[in-house]
Amino acid sequence: MCGPVDKECGIDLPGLTVIVGNYGSGKTEVAVNLAVYQNAIGRRVRIADLDLVNPYFRTREARKVLNQLGIETILPPEGLLQADLPILSPAISGLIRQPGDCAIIDVGGDDAGATVLAALADAFSGRKKPFNVLQVVNPYRPNTDSVEGCIAIRKAIEAVSKLSINGWVGNANLIDETQTGHIRYGYQFMRALSERSGLPVAFITVAKELLSGVDIHEFEIPLLTIYRQLVPPWKKAIALS
Amino acid sequence: MAKVLMKGNEAIAEAAIRAGCLNYFAYPITPQSEVAEYLCWRMPEVNGVFLQGESEVAVAYMIFGAAAAGARVFTTSSSPGISLMSEGISYLAGAQCPAVFVNIMRGGPGLGGILPSQADYLQATKGIGHGDCRMLVMAPATVQEAAEMVMKAFPLAEKYRNPVMILGDGLIGQMMEPVEFPDDLKSEPTNKDEWATNGMDHRKSKTRNLVRSLFLDPVVLNNNNLVLKEKYEKMKDEILFESYNTEKDYRILIVSYGTMSRVCRTAVDMLADEGIHVGLIRPQTLFPFPEEAICKAVTSSGCKLVLSIEMSMGQMLEDVQRSVLGACPVEWYGKCGGEVPTPEEIIDLIKARMASL
Repeated sequence: MCGPVDKECGIDLPGLTVIVGNYGSGKTEVAVNLAVYQNAIGRRVRIADLDLVNPYFRTREARKVLNQLGIETILPPEGLLQADLPILSPAISGLIRQPGDCAIIDVGGDDAGATVLAALADAFSGRKKPFNVLQVVNPYRPNTDSVEGCIAIRKAIEAVSKLSINGWVGNANLIDETQTGHIRYGYQFMRALSERSGLPVAFITVAKELLSGVDIHEFEIPLLTIYRQLVPPWKKAIALS
Repeated sequence: MAKVLMKGNEAIAEAAIRAGCLNYFAYPITPQSEVAEYLCWRMPEVNGVFLQGESEVAVAYMIFGAAAAGARVFTTSSSPGISLMSEGISYLAGAQCPAVFVNIMRGGPGLGGILPSQADYLQATKGIGHGDCRMLVMAPATVQEAAEMVMKAFPLAEKYRNPVMILGDGLIGQMMEPVEFPDDLKSEPTNKDEWATNGMDHRKSKTRNLVRSLFLDPVVLNNNNLVLKEKYEKMKDEILFESYNTEKDYRILIVSYGTMSRVCRTAVDMLADEGIHVGLIRPQTLFPFPEEAICKAVTSSGCKLVLSIEMSMGQMLEDVQRSVLGACPVEWYGKCGGEVPTPEEIIDLIKARMASL
């Protein structure tokens, strides 16, 4: 269990982490909460919004709360935040080359969203240290409700991004209708996916509201607590403090 | 089928397939392009057709052609795209051909912006095309309801032999919620022999069908318009609305639709926690409009003020005023640049207006 209040969850992802996944898998919520966690354990964190395909519910929506926590956000210029344009901030290639303590890149969905990564191939190939490319999976989404579906999306993302995915993130949820049974099913699903693909599961997620319903010892994988930040206007984000 | 997590746009796409619609013609535009993205792989799975037109004008006539042949057909677009389809929609209405149009609205006028808006209310309910042309308009507030309304829209379009519109704001298209579909709803238009130009061999009636909206004889054209008028009156049978917190006595009634109504609902709940009761009527059909329900909600309570809360500059206000029949004042509150009014804004507004009642 981890998050801003509990620092002992076993997630250890220093340096550069690129978050990819299918459309609507929850990449942004995962990226934002991972940034908050990394910040809480004392790392200097920078997060880049590289979502060029999604018009709403992007990392940029959480910029104020991230900045208040001291997390640096790398975004298109303020005046163009809502532009329907694929703006690639030049600061991102610098972030890839020199991620420092902790850099998180939140990429757009599917192979369409990951295509932009190929444009950054020079920056990636110039790196000497290995880095994490994690594919977020929600088995309650169409197309990733089977191990085969997840692997097909992995191949499509790898083909266009010119990067190799080297870990999974399990993000099983039905948003407000998530129950602990969904978390347990997601855990088993990720174990099967890991076994078939030979890739490790970096962590799975559980919403803060459901934490009391699960015993963390049930899981042999680190657990990231999600404090939901990307909410519609009639709901409140979960306080991070 | 178990619940899955879907974007509104994906759910709209899947709902059309579940309803047996295997023809989709469209041109992409934010914030609804995911419908096309979804159907470009999903339609081939069910042996359906997705064709991207060269423009929305072309799309409207592809729809007309498929509808004339008796097929279930639909398209999705956003505000400027719907404007381009306007001429073709009028042709469909004039020729009495059924089809479903989904408008996931963005801010305007002109190119406007890509954020949520409800600024096409008047276009959808009163000015969807030239001539005496109307559409049945439904406005969902949740992803589940968007899917259900799409599935319902096809039989309604066929029943009235008229285009039907699903009017959602950008949030309906972009937000994700759990959604559940019935296993199999697939059906065909049962009455297509009334209009479809699909050959005579199988047909009981030996009268030829002619799809046209051109009536040069003024008497014949007038008669066609009288037929349409009668249908638009009959559509009142389909009026749908939701009442919330109206069982208590209230001095203020909110009328709000779509995702805006969900903000209002949160405000109503928060006010109720403070002991302040405000009623809420959410029209689910915008044309025809639930006039009687609003009138009753005003006259059967101690209501002193009605607020029309919208993500437009007051486009629904006149319909609400018309419904209230002068029983109390009706005021507008809203925004239309992409920002959605917050529950706190609505609460402040209600408290301020309550103090002066």
